[in-house]
Amino acid sequence: MNIQEYISSGIVESYVLGLASPEERIEFEEMCAQHPELVEARNNFELSLEEQARKNVVPPPMGAKEKILSAIQQSSASKTSKLISMEPTTRRSSGLRWIAAAAIILFLVGGFLAFKFYNENKDLKTELRSSQDAQAQLDQRLKKMEDEEKVMNDPHTTVVNMVGLQGSPLSANIYWDSTSANVYMIVKNMPKLPSDKQYQLWALIDKKPVDLGLFDGGEKVILKMNNTQKADAFAITIENRGNTGGPNLQELQSMGKAKL
Amino acid sequence: MSAYTKYSEQELVALLLQQNDQAFSYLYDNYSPALFGIINQIVPDKELASDVLQDVFINIWRKIRSYDQTKGRLFTWMLNIARNAAIDKLRSRPYQDNLKNQPLAENVNSTAANSVIGPQVNDVGLKKLINKLKDEYRVLIDLSYFQGFTHEEIAKLLNIPLGTVKTRIRSALIQLRTLI
Repeated sequence: MNIQEYISSGIVESYVLGLASPEERIEFEEMCAQHPELVEARNNFELSLEEQARKNVVPPPMGAKEKILSAIQQSSASKTSKLISMEPTTRRSSGLRWIAAAAIILFLVGGFLAFKFYNENKDLKTELRSSQDAQAQLDQRLKKMEDEEKVMNDPHTTVVNMVGLQGSPLSANIYWDSTSANVYMIVKNMPKLPSDKQYQLWALIDKKPVDLGLFDGGEKVILKMNNTQKADAFAITIENRGNTGGPNLQELQSMGKAKL
Repeated sequence: MSAYTKYSEQELVALLLQQNDQAFSYLYDNYSPALFGIINQIVPDKELASDVLQDVFINIWRKIRSYDQTKGRLFTWMLNIARNAAIDKLRSRPYQDNLKNQPLAENVNSTAANSVIGPQVNDVGLKKLINKLKDEYRVLIDLSYFQGFTHEEIAKLLNIPLGTVKTRIRSALIQLRTLI
């Protein structure tokens, strides 16, 4: 397309009247920079458009000018006061700065407090949980002691005094409730064994040994042993740790008759 | 009024850039009737048109720095500000609500339909020229120039291909050029 064709394509009018697309505008402006005749055509159309508009004036309403002038004077007045009176502006902006600083401090303090409270809350929760655990453990122990006490005071409970054989210092009491079958043992004194050895309690029922449980020695401990409904006698032996076989009667430490 | 100075466009722009009140007063006196004429052709309501005129002159005062003399005459620049402001007003909520208590979409259609079928209400200025155009051109110029519809919107509105809208508007403008 040569420039004359371009000029007469309607682009000039389209551009001047604001109907051209952004791409068309850019192209038109680039063409104007290269082609003075295009600028001339544009200028001619602009002039005729202005002339046309001037032939069709409508006087604006009275007072419109005053409103506009006061509006722009207000805006320019605020502009000059901004330029001249540095102080209020700085004061305002430093006020704003203070507000901003205060806001940041508040934010940081708030964040810190939130963090602190969060941690405290977490700690309290942990403490509460451990207290609850301790409480549960105490409850359990109390329950156990109550059970033990019940057994010991129960008229159906048989107390068997176990004493050491062959000069052994072993000393224990067995509390056996024949109705509930509960067996408790209070170890008064049982010498510590090498770590591969354990004591084992047996019930002798019709002359046959029945395992009532392995235990470590010690002093003044109450042990809950396996239950047994029947028992003619109780025996304590020393066995290898975790013994699953029968009793090693060579190592019989103590013997007590259940039936008087 | 006696000692009234007459400024050239360049002098006027230079003074406006310095925020010269007198130059602005002259600008208003010299151009407001023509601009108000255009605004009136888009926004027929006198009161609303007066609001638009105020917005336009305040915008001219504030945006004079963005005026580029290499891209066109001062009047053309102001004319486009006026046209855009008037179309914005035409499409503003209060105006549309005022027009009819109907959804906007229907309004757009009915406004368009009016201009297609109805007689030319405003038989002055550019509109008078446009009335001399062929019917199919007149509608397109009215919708695009006076109502600010995009080519795409016009294509949808009149149910004609976008390419046709574009070429017809170009032809209409070429024809308009001979009439001005």
